[in-house]
Amino acid sequence: MPPETTPLIEIANLRVRFHTPTRIVEAVRGLSFTLGREKLAIVGESGSGKSMTGRAILDLVPWPGEVLADRLAFRGEDLATMDRARRRALRGRRISMVLQDPKFSLNPVMSVGRQIAEAYRTHHRAGAAEARERALAMLEAVQIREPGRVYDLYPHEVSGGMGQRVMIAMMLIGEPDVLIADEPTSALDVTVQAQILDILDRLVTERGMGLIFISHDLPLVSAFCDRVIVMYAGRVMETLDARSLHQGRHPYTRGLLGCLPDLDLPKPRLATLTRDPAWTEA
Amino acid sequence: MLRTGSEKAAMPDNGPAPMIGVEGLNVRFGSAHVLKDVSFRVAAGESYGLVGESGSGKSTVLRVLSGLNPSWSGRVGIAGAALRHRPPKSFFRQVQMVFQDPFGSLHPRMTIDAILAEPLAIHGIGDADRRIERALADVGLDGGFRFRYPHQLSGGQRQRVAIARALILEPSVLLLDEPTSALDVSIQAEVLNLLQDLKSRRDLTMLLVSHNLAVVGHMCGRVGVMNRGVIVEEADIAELRETGGRNPYTRELVAASRRVSLGAGAA
Repeated sequence: MPPETTPLIEIANLRVRFHTPTRIVEAVRGLSFTLGREKLAIVGESGSGKSMTGRAILDLVPWPGEVLADRLAFRGEDLATMDRARRRALRGRRISMVLQDPKFSLNPVMSVGRQIAEAYRTHHRAGAAEARERALAMLEAVQIREPGRVYDLYPHEVSGGMGQRVMIAMMLIGEPDVLIADEPTSALDVTVQAQILDILDRLVTERGMGLIFISHDLPLVSAFCDRVIVMYAGRVMETLDARSLHQGRHPYTRGLLGCLPDLDLPKPRLATLTRDPAWTEA
Repeated sequence: MLRTGSEKAAMPDNGPAPMIGVEGLNVRFGSAHVLKDVSFRVAAGESYGLVGESGSGKSTVLRVLSGLNPSWSGRVGIAGAALRHRPPKSFFRQVQMVFQDPFGSLHPRMTIDAILAEPLAIHGIGDADRRIERALADVGLDGGFRFRYPHQLSGGQRQRVAIARALILEPSVLLLDEPTSALDVSIQAEVLNLLQDLKSRRDLTMLLVSHNLAVVGHMCGRVGVMNRGVIVEEADIAELRETGGRNPYTRELVAASRRVSLGAGAA
């Protein structure tokens, strides 16, 4: 066991690029951070490279995509030089990922309970009955009432909020050390969103999990996370303490904050973001 | 204070005929009673917001008003005439809608030019060339976009095309169903500014449906809060800002909106 001080994730100079017939598109350009037992947010607009960062950690960037990094490590173990079998053993077991829309990420022709049980049996030697018990317990842990009934429902029979809880249950049944959540609540209503965040928060505090929370929603991450990385065009613009996100100094952060309408601060016109080409350079 | 502020706030029930008047609107899908006695009025030139969560029935109200949902009961008047269950063609020149998802609402195999030409052809309006140029210019897109396909445009550009398509018929009522919730906040700000400019230039009446109270508060003077098919409260935005609402559900929505507010605009 590595000592508790070893970061869960270490990333130095991460680059993700895509080879197209005419040129190379760089999605992530030199990202570095470490993740401890905390809630770390990565925020940015579409195309900022925030989702690609999550995918790169999990080795989910297929060719023509390419992941390069000076260091990419999980609890001190180098992910870049690790063989595929070991990497696969980590994926879903020690590091897992919740995707944005449960409608597209659940298997439509398999009951949700069986999908959770399948996730368990992929990583543990367990019989069908034991896997079922585990899945039911997990459904209860994500606050689904009547887990016995929900177990047999198909994805089209559950609401968005319930589908997202099923996804979270499936991702947590392996008891991962790191959970990457890619816009886990943006398809949900505010009240359901609050319940999902509560569940994630409890898991981080009680189980000492590390959470990478990918979002475009600055107010949300400011209220929920510990630290925030602001990304633009594949680069880090600044890293901030979540509580002081509203005091962000970088003009991009300020610009993003300025375009938000606020119920309590009416203004005749919303500010728009002027993009400085210098932000895309080093 | 917003331009659409409280001067147009409380509509007296016996005032001049509103641009949109809904009284006792009921919609049932099978055994599900999704709209229960919904009533509200929107004056000409006013911006009215409907907020609520998924399943509250807010989008169903828009679908009825746009003629997309033919099964309803109650009394609905819009743009100076009673709404018919199968509206005539002339109705659609008066009432147009912008949908939530600009990735799903534009035909993927039609150029922007063809998308904008279609409503003109349907209504037998000539001078298409000039009108398309102008419609694009009005939403801040240059002529270079005319012969592109939707997949070559960003989300914000597509939503501008959807707005251009709605406005090319010069309607008097614009129905907006979550027009910015699929967009980044920076693009949302541009689209909301554009809608406000177009509204003041053309004296449009807007009905905006959103789950985002801050967006509704920015765009509208009055708001109806919907929950489970019922408008539980109707209020001035200014009043809502001050009191936080009377109905418990409204108070919850306002509190939720404040919890995730950074108060950054003040800095």
